[in-house]
Amino acid sequence: MTPLALAWRATRQYRARAVLAVVGVAVIGALLFDMLLLSRGLLVSFGRLLSAEGFDIRIVATQGFARIGIPESAALVEAVRRMPGVADTAAIAVEAGDAGVGAAHGHVTLIGRSRASASPWRIVRGADLVDSAPGAGCEAVVDGRFPSQFHADVGGSVRVLGLPGGASALPPIDCRIVGVADFGFSASGERTVAMTMDALQRALGTTHGADAQVILIASAAGADPNAIVRAVGRLRPDVRAYSNAEVVEQFNRNGFAYFRQISTVLSTLTTVFAFLLVATLLTVSVNQRLGEIAALRAVGIARHRIAAMLFWESALLVGGGALAAVPLGAALAVGLDRLLRQMPGLPDGLHFFVFERRALVVHLLVFGVTAAASAAYPAWLAARLPIAETLRREVVG
Amino acid sequence: MLAPSPGILISRQLAARAHLQVGDEVTLATEPQGGRTATFRVTGVYEPTPDPMRFTAERIEARLHLPDLVALAADGSDPGDAESIGRINVALTDPADTHAFAADLASSVPTVVVRPASDFRESDVFAVIDRFHVAISIVTVVGATAFLLALMLIRAEERRETVGVMRLIGISQRSLLSSVAIEGCAIAIVGAAFGIALALASERAINHYFQTRYDTALVFIRVTAAIAVRAVVVAAPLGVGAGIAASWTLLRRNVLSLFRR
Repeated sequence: MTPLALAWRATRQYRARAVLAVVGVAVIGALLFDMLLLSRGLLVSFGRLLSAEGFDIRIVATQGFARIGIPESAALVEAVRRMPGVADTAAIAVEAGDAGVGAAHGHVTLIGRSRASASPWRIVRGADLVDSAPGAGCEAVVDGRFPSQFHADVGGSVRVLGLPGGASALPPIDCRIVGVADFGFSASGERTVAMTMDALQRALGTTHGADAQVILIASAAGADPNAIVRAVGRLRPDVRAYSNAEVVEQFNRNGFAYFRQISTVLSTLTTVFAFLLVATLLTVSVNQRLGEIAALRAVGIARHRIAAMLFWESALLVGGGALAAVPLGAALAVGLDRLLRQMPGLPDGLHFFVFERRALVVHLLVFGVTAAASAAYPAWLAARLPIAETLRREVVG
Repeated sequence: MLAPSPGILISRQLAARAHLQVGDEVTLATEPQGGRTATFRVTGVYEPTPDPMRFTAERIEARLHLPDLVALAADGSDPGDAESIGRINVALTDPADTHAFAADLASSVPTVVVRPASDFRESDVFAVIDRFHVAISIVTVVGATAFLLALMLIRAEERRETVGVMRLIGISQRSLLSSVAIEGCAIAIVGAAFGIALALASERAINHYFQTRYDTALVFIRVTAAIAVRAVVVAAPLGVGAGIAASWTLLRRNVLSLFRR
């Protein structure tokens, strides 16, 4: 009989404890799997949101991405547009505002976009903004929840007023809704109305062009985004340009520290926890089965086969638990992600737990090592067991 | 005689970074290229109020008197800029009047936004993180309970014959069950106490690590009496339950079967 078959028999013989051990490993394993998903989830999700915008460089006024207007942004956009390797640019201004449709009205985030080939949002219905001559009628793209909240859809109109200082006595402007879009960085409770920069300027009641707070750049195929970042730095040393990779790195350093650390701490703790408990279970189990193990040795089963049997027992318990942990962890991750996404102001498309193949590989590796380490001491105990003395003690006892 | 430079306070982190001390004169500029400058004298070094929302940020800060900041930063081409400030903090004599005061002020000065400090949503973030921690601890407790049950089952099996003898000499099932419950409770309480002792022992080390890592006075871990009590209150019934559940099969069986007869 092979060591695996012996281990399987022992596991079946002590079915209740084996099931409980597998359940325990599965629950702890689910937590470990989730912590591995959490360790890079926000970064991966944030990177995907940035990539989905279709632009790979952004210019802001200061370090830290605060919403501060970039001085002389229109001139900067024109200068950047002429740079080699630049395929497209879009200047973006974001202001607080009020929107009204009939009796329904409420606070919204107003987004102004300069002339550009593409927008940093994904149209899900209708059409995108079209660059028109200054003074032309206002067209607006709204977020997916806007139509149900304001009872206005594509083809309808909305009254919009900019409230940069919190209040305004100016009359609102009328905009025609031309499309519904997915704004990746909008929060779930946030209603968004996007329009051209010219229309935003009218909604704000300003006579001079609104300063953009972000200038997005799409580099041409084959162009080096870092070279464009350096060129922008030389052109305007007072502003900051970042490639998407740099933005993700900055997010990793500043905004992400808490979840990275909690995932490291909990991953380590759960692994140690699983090791200690499986090792304890196996050791206690071996101590209880000393007579049985001595009898197996006495009938000629070699020392290394007994050790191998215990390693297989550990592998069955830990392996069974680790495999069950994957679907359990996935279900748990959905719940925990939903819980964490209740944080106010979090972008709709940002997730804390994101599946990566790397997490699954690390999870299985960690449990493989845990299974081997847990079985080491019980196997050592069983291998050095004095056969005759143990049998005599067990029989007399 | 020259007028003395106006005084400023600088954060401990800025003092360390720029090798400054009280009495030093510093030049502050509002433009990255060093334009629009003014000279100040450091009159004090302060520890920034720990802010959980910004604990990863370097607190390179200086505090100026408002007129000095306005003189330094205001846009000279815009006369209104020197009259503008970002925020006014108001402490009321009676904090219960907060919402009424906010409503009164908002209606009498419609161009400003008045918000009670309690309405700022940072606290929501920590409520969510608190719920996240509770969810994780529930999962951990479920896993630990399964292991405890497995261990108690092994222990009950070990004592199969002892239990048989006790039942044969007339000790009631109720007494045996009580003894198992007390044992389970004791194991759980000792385990919880060990966990609390471990948390207390590691509290200082963990706080020291993170405070050094982020150069902040923020307290990351605090083991309070309420948390310790909650740990024991959760652990004790679990221990009792695991002990009774593990022994239940032995107590329900025929006595002779405990001796494999």
